[in-house]
Amino acid sequence: MKLTEDDIYRTSTQYRNWSFTPTQLALQRQKTNQQASERVKAAVARQRAQRVRQPQADTASTSESERNGSGIENGSSTPIPVGDQEVNCLTVEEEMKLVDTFCEKALDLGKFCNFPTEVTATCIQFLRRFYLFNSPMTYEGQNISRTAMFIANKAESYFLNAENYAARFGPKATAEKVLAPEYLIIQALRYNLDVRHPFRGLKGGHLELIELANGNLAALPSATETPAELQAQMLLLPRKPDGPATRMSIAELEKRITDAYGFASHILKTAALLTDAYFLYTPSHIWLSAHLLADEPLTLFYLSTKLPSSSPMAAKTLATIRSCATLLSSHRSFNSDRIPPSEKDARDKKEKEEVQVLVKKLRQCRDPDKIDLVKLNQAQKRDAVEGGGLEENKAKRRKLQREGYQKEAEDFWGPELAKGENREGK
Amino acid sequence: MAHSPVLSPKPNPPGAGSRITTMNPKAKALAILNHANQPPAPSTATTPGDGGTDLAEQMNDEVRRKFVSGARLGEGTYAVVYSGHYRHDPSRLVAIKKIKLNPEHKDGIAPDAIREIKHLSELSHPNIIQLHAIFSTKEQNISLVLEHLPLGDLEGLWKNQSISYSGADIKSWASMLAQAVWFCHENYVLHRDIKGNNLLIAADGTLKLADFGLARSFADPGRVMTSMVITRFYRPPELLLGCLHYGGTVDVWSMGVVLAELVLREWFLPADTDSQQLLVICDVFGTPTEETWPGVTKLRNAAILGVAKRPQPLSYWRQRFTLLGEDGIDLLRSMLIMDPAKRFSARKVLEHRYWTNAPRPTKKEDLPKQGGGLAKVGEDLKRRAGETDSGRGDKVARKLDFGSMR
Repeated sequence: MKLTEDDIYRTSTQYRNWSFTPTQLALQRQKTNQQASERVKAAVARQRAQRVRQPQADTASTSESERNGSGIENGSSTPIPVGDQEVNCLTVEEEMKLVDTFCEKALDLGKFCNFPTEVTATCIQFLRRFYLFNSPMTYEGQNISRTAMFIANKAESYFLNAENYAARFGPKATAEKVLAPEYLIIQALRYNLDVRHPFRGLKGGHLELIELANGNLAALPSATETPAELQAQMLLLPRKPDGPATRMSIAELEKRITDAYGFASHILKTAALLTDAYFLYTPSHIWLSAHLLADEPLTLFYLSTKLPSSSPMAAKTLATIRSCATLLSSHRSFNSDRIPPSEKDARDKKEKEEVQVLVKKLRQCRDPDKIDLVKLNQAQKRDAVEGGGLEENKAKRRKLQREGYQKEAEDFWGPELAKGENREGK
Repeated sequence: MAHSPVLSPKPNPPGAGSRITTMNPKAKALAILNHANQPPAPSTATTPGDGGTDLAEQMNDEVRRKFVSGARLGEGTYAVVYSGHYRHDPSRLVAIKKIKLNPEHKDGIAPDAIREIKHLSELSHPNIIQLHAIFSTKEQNISLVLEHLPLGDLEGLWKNQSISYSGADIKSWASMLAQAVWFCHENYVLHRDIKGNNLLIAADGTLKLADFGLARSFADPGRVMTSMVITRFYRPPELLLGCLHYGGTVDVWSMGVVLAELVLREWFLPADTDSQQLLVICDVFGTPTEETWPGVTKLRNAAILGVAKRPQPLSYWRQRFTLLGEDGIDLLRSMLIMDPAKRFSARKVLEHRYWTNAPRPTKKEDLPKQGGGLAKVGEDLKRRAGETDSGRGDKVARKLDFGSMR
């Protein structure tokens, strides 16, 4: 009895729920954008209406200063355009650019916290999956990214202390803020916490190449060539596609293989994460594409040992890998080490400016209902404790209720905190 | 101050709308945070169709609506279990495991829940409990909709003196267990809590591996894993010795202990503490040495191995495990090799001649069954990983105490 890698991959949630054709992906993003835009417009309209009604209701019982105070806390510190003009919502492309930015920031966050590669990689896929069904207009990137990173740690079996984790982000960040969107995110991930990465595949391919180079391995039991013949072919592999045959020593070949591994690994940690690669291709496609970009002749040789060119699957597989390679190489990070620094700086500057414009625009079209995730979450949690049927003994329930009330009181009477949170929320 | 209903995402009680206008302006301000509860503002254009919920929420609600939750079957520290069924087909029963929200847990969704959700979502095999769906309620309780497995568990079976079973029956159960474990390992998942009462029995007699609350993916080489897993009686010697790098063979050891218990109809390796557990193992298998298990003396807790003991002779096995026959005894001992590097992998277990030699394993529908019933379903599913109800107070799978040895 043997399961092939394909059999296993096809049962994964990544394949079943998170693999798309480019068209499906575009349609889903369109749908998400449209729904979020409608919601923002409706919410803003409601707030405007509220603001018109509010003074009349309040004048009888409250003083001018109290009213101003409430004005700050009810989210009107979020600049909502006054007047009747339509809210200018983000387009799908703008949303995608922002999500890409969140993902790049998450990469930095992972480096900053020294998290293992797979944790950061999982976090970024969580973000991409989350924002397939949610718009940055509804949920802002910073809080979501921090929480997604927290969940990614758990999903990869690193169980962090929320308080210590939050403490890394300075005094304004709290465990509560980290935890508040946890359910929101997990629900948007459809409770799929397993992300299949290409890292182990790349490592495995690397080890096989080294063995092939040393004449120790026939890649397939059915191979017609002996390990020595494969080794001999390998030592002649041209450096460039269609280049002249080389005559490498085994040591040179090993170095070449290791260099290719290093470069491919870099692509997997950057471009592969920051594009739609995971949505469109399988982990094997992705690592082979990265390897193809790193050393095409070597990769084609490796493929030929697995899949003879006579096989009807060979052409199809190679076409898929090439199209994935095109996607990976189209990402900014791909050639950032090889273009002149001045050109790179100019490009980065332009990119930064574009993002800043978007961030500014985002401020004008955020869904005012979803800015304070901590309070939304508290409200839901309190319901769970009181109505969710925790039939512990009465004393415990009272204690929880008391804590709930205290928390609530703090929210009401702690204006500095609330203001801080609002500001953070932007 | 009084509990403010406007902060609640639950629908407001009748009259809530009018209460809002009489409320403290700050409370009103907060109420805006959740417009789903708001009486629709007169001038507001409502978004048609979405009811103000996220796409993800809508998908979640769709899943939730597929199931009807029924009687409460049981409650444990970690979860409450309800009986339930598909809404469109009441004859399709399920068990709904509602993971308790613990407001005192400071780090959000608990590890048990994360592990179970992550791994069960990926594993689909006839001998692994099926996860039909996951949904959460508005109150953020995550519910796992699991396969309905009404006929108790393997531990209950060997404890039930009114049931008798044969070597062929044992082979049948053991084979279903071995396939489940093999499948987990093929999918790079370590179960880390295999024991009789995590092996549940379906109405048709199929054995199903359940409770993935301690499971994890295989670690990359070099990465440290905790040795504080697997319920003590079933914990392999390398974990008791404090090994932080291990593989699928930890589950194979547990599988061996389960098989032995099934034959003996009593605990095979009972012990009251972790250090005693190791000595109990050595009583049967002998004290490991550098010759029998290279590297063993360098493990963290090697000091507790103490005086060298000799392993039990073959006659001990033949006497106690007659029911398994020579092939079965050979397999059992291969699953219980002290050195994890020599111990059989799940795949090698399946390749053993025991399965193909006589007697044939009993067909699952002909296996002896016990009553079980709904209450038992609840019992089985609500346990926290690492607990048994052996009455020995060994609910401490994650607390190793070697201090008492000194």
